[in-house]
Amino acid sequence: MTANDRPSPRPIDRPIARRRFLTGSAGTAAALGLGLPAAGGAATGPFRHGVASGDPWPRSVLLWTRVTPTPSAVPGSGLGPDVSVQWQVARDPGFADVVREGSFRTGAVRDHTVKVAAGRLEPGTTYYYRFRHAGSTSPTGRTRTAPATDASPAGLRFGVVSCANWQAGYFSAYRHLAAHADLDAVLHLGDYFYEYDVDEYGYGPANTTIRPHDPAHETVRLADYRRRHAQYKSDADLQALHAAAPWIVTWDDHESANDAWSGGAENHQPVEGDWFARRAAAYRAYDEWMPVRMSGTAALGDGEQLFRRLRFGTLADLSMLDLRTYRSQQVGNALAGIDDPARSITGDRQLRWLTDGLSSSTAQWKLVGNPVMIAPVVFPPLPAEVSRPLADVTGLLPPDGVPYNLDQWDGYTADRRRVFQHLADHGVRDTVFLTGDIHSAWACDLPVDAGTYPLSRSVGTEFVCTSVTSNNLDDITGSPPRTTSLTVEAAIQANNRHVRYLDFDSHGYSVLDVTPARVQMDYYVIGDRAEQRTGSSWSTSWATDAGSHRVRAASAPVGR
Amino acid sequence: MSGVERRSFLKAGMTGGAAVLLSAAGGARWAHGAVVDKRRVYVVVVDGCRPDEITPAVTPRLHALRESGTNFPNARSLPVMETIPNHVMMMSGVRPDRSGVPANAVYDRDEGAVRELDRPTDLTYPTLLERLDGTGRTTATVLSKEYLFGIFGARATYRWEPEPIVPVSGHAPDAFTMDAALAMLHEADPSLLFVNLGDCDRVGHSDLTGTTLAAARAAALVSADQQVGRLVDALTATGRWAQSAVVVIADHSMDWSLPHRLVSLAPVLEADPMLAGRVQIAQNGGADLLYWTGLESDRVRAVQRMRELTSATDGVLSVHTPDDLRLGARAGDLVAYCRAGWRFSDPAPVSNPIPGNHGHPATAPIPLFLAGGLVPSGATSSRRAATVDVAPTVGSVLDLPAPSGGYDGSSLLA
Repeated sequence: MTANDRPSPRPIDRPIARRRFLTGSAGTAAALGLGLPAAGGAATGPFRHGVASGDPWPRSVLLWTRVTPTPSAVPGSGLGPDVSVQWQVARDPGFADVVREGSFRTGAVRDHTVKVAAGRLEPGTTYYYRFRHAGSTSPTGRTRTAPATDASPAGLRFGVVSCANWQAGYFSAYRHLAAHADLDAVLHLGDYFYEYDVDEYGYGPANTTIRPHDPAHETVRLADYRRRHAQYKSDADLQALHAAAPWIVTWDDHESANDAWSGGAENHQPVEGDWFARRAAAYRAYDEWMPVRMSGTAALGDGEQLFRRLRFGTLADLSMLDLRTYRSQQVGNALAGIDDPARSITGDRQLRWLTDGLSSSTAQWKLVGNPVMIAPVVFPPLPAEVSRPLADVTGLLPPDGVPYNLDQWDGYTADRRRVFQHLADHGVRDTVFLTGDIHSAWACDLPVDAGTYPLSRSVGTEFVCTSVTSNNLDDITGSPPRTTSLTVEAAIQANNRHVRYLDFDSHGYSVLDVTPARVQMDYYVIGDRAEQRTGSSWSTSWATDAGSHRVRAASAPVGR
Repeated sequence: MSGVERRSFLKAGMTGGAAVLLSAAGGARWAHGAVVDKRRVYVVVVDGCRPDEITPAVTPRLHALRESGTNFPNARSLPVMETIPNHVMMMSGVRPDRSGVPANAVYDRDEGAVRELDRPTDLTYPTLLERLDGTGRTTATVLSKEYLFGIFGARATYRWEPEPIVPVSGHAPDAFTMDAALAMLHEADPSLLFVNLGDCDRVGHSDLTGTTLAAARAAALVSADQQVGRLVDALTATGRWAQSAVVVIADHSMDWSLPHRLVSLAPVLEADPMLAGRVQIAQNGGADLLYWTGLESDRVRAVQRMRELTSATDGVLSVHTPDDLRLGARAGDLVAYCRAGWRFSDPAPVSNPIPGNHGHPATAPIPLFLAGGLVPSGATSSRRAATVDVAPTVGSVLDLPAPSGGYDGSSLLA
């Protein structure tokens, strides 16, 4: 669908405040025509779900699209013939210099998705790619290979996003991020979509549905997950960002069901069938529809391992975590068990892989794509009017006052201690966790002992990006932005001296700029999510200098 | 130092009336301009400095120097993360399995005793100090610690014997050390000057109270910073800066342990019937070197038993063979590392009351940066760098070929 073809927003219950920052941004992606539907009504053409690339390696990158060869071959239908799709990779957007091309066979068995690992490419190089089928050409995507393993790049730049709820509004954050030129990759830290029924989770305190989910019920079966993926990928802003840069993704819980753990999920009931069958369907659809090398390959059905490591020369490596598949069940409303060493958020194998990788890495920056927050957060006593909405939005504070979010690393303190102790024991420098999940923006040091910080040691830093659309604190309380939340933020920081920055109200995206001297996170916020063409503006920047294990305010964002 | 050596001495007057006594190899001239090649390298070791301690507020001169030159934030000390082996790696460019110097303290099987590696004969590989001396250039050592003066001995063209010595720590305070370095600069003008500033390390070791440690440490850092500033000022004032490469580095960083966080392996091993009386331990703060002294025919079984017992001891991070860490035969049969926040204390729990500690991987991160007119300015490199890279870097500045067999490190300017 093009932007103009969208259904009008549903009426909502309260006036939508026109928030700050309504300046538009002309996009590089738009200027190049990247990701925009090709002429001739692509919304109904064979490439109506756009194009994507992902998991860049020095010599190869994964290319993705979905072809709709016949009108009936809609996502999740199981209908439609097997067809061939041609792909091309070129050095230029005009495809005068095609360096690789091939053909890929797809069909209903894989929901007509196409995943190709284009190989024999040059490291650290920008490429353009497209697909063809039956005389139609897809939109053009831009992608970029990782630097050679032994290269020393002067810099890397990543978009950082998480938590995009279709029903809560429009994906303007994706559109504005796509306008940033020269992104090496986009990191999506989870909650790429939501499994909820229509009207179950939406915009603001009344959960108003800005645009309804498809299918019009909670996703449970494979066909449901396929259709939900397809709906999200019909969004022009999402298509634009996919086309602008390769993505490096991990899932959080909503790609399967809320608060998923290794044996179930909060939002999974016995009447919905077997959890493992549901999860297998969710994972299958994810593998089909996302530009990701699950178990290290472009193939489907050869494994569900999502945790993996990407290398960007000597400057950085990036460990992407899966904190849902192997985790022990969240503890109940009592604190009992949060420090039980037998409970794990990573699973033994992934924890060993993570810690061994961190201490044996020769890259300078050890980046970790981390779906849920790892910095400890100890809450002060808060008024009930605030604590309940806070619990609703972030799960940070159950209304009975238990001072932990039991769904993040705070609920698995033995594993966190293992990670932090490992970093200290092995003198691992410059580890930076990049996090999503909690619909708010943070910058934190990572103290081994939060109680005595800052007198005690920090072993790294954490930057948390806010949500693309999912509700946060002021959305839940219904209070104006930067009012109630200011009190909460101040109280949290007073009690958590390693938390240096916190914004509970804004939606948007972040840009992470990595150089040998420092890593900087620029936080951008959008206007009203309910407004399709809302603007975006720089909010603040935080950085960590090499070797410091501390975050500091930075005075200006990096250039576009 | 052993043997009969012909030396000449020079007593240099310093501001404030103090005098510094320098010595030189027989035949070396005390004169400016003795060397035609004007390029100079100054390697300054801020002993035990952590990379996060260099800040604009506490160490403004070091910070400015780092900003002005090329910084290596991915730099590490190498096993064992102790003073003597890492100074040797800086000057030799090779790992301990080639230099013969794996740790500060080893068990000397010939002498039947644990001792420091502080004799010139302990270092079995040529260093820059004598290799440069043979090419028409001159070298000088100004090392604050007695054992460093010991192991490097008479290798350099010009030397300073540290004094006055602080009795407990065995080192000369930084202000005196820098007095000597500046006297060396003015009187000998060596092509390579190797300086160790010991205060930061020694304060870390000597302070037992914990409560005043932070303040004392900051004071030592401020002092070291001022001393480095004096050197930079002297290089600038004498017009040497443009032809200089200044390497600022630490040999290891520093970790602090709580009083009760100590690992004492001797009682654990002595309690084992097979091992009792047949194991020697050379304690190196954050690392213990373990030596089997029983029958050779029992070695394999005994070392396996030592490994099991050591690995199972609280506070032990990991156990390695010396080969794993490229330490050579002198390091014994096994090397045990402690965890961050712990220390070894052997042979008895009271043997090591010092809370400031290094030798284990937690103390591997070090500051390392280059400055001066001969190095790129305003740069930061993400490459992995180490103490062993100093010699090849100096060699590349002064056009000194690699030694036979090559370096184990590589030039940071390559």
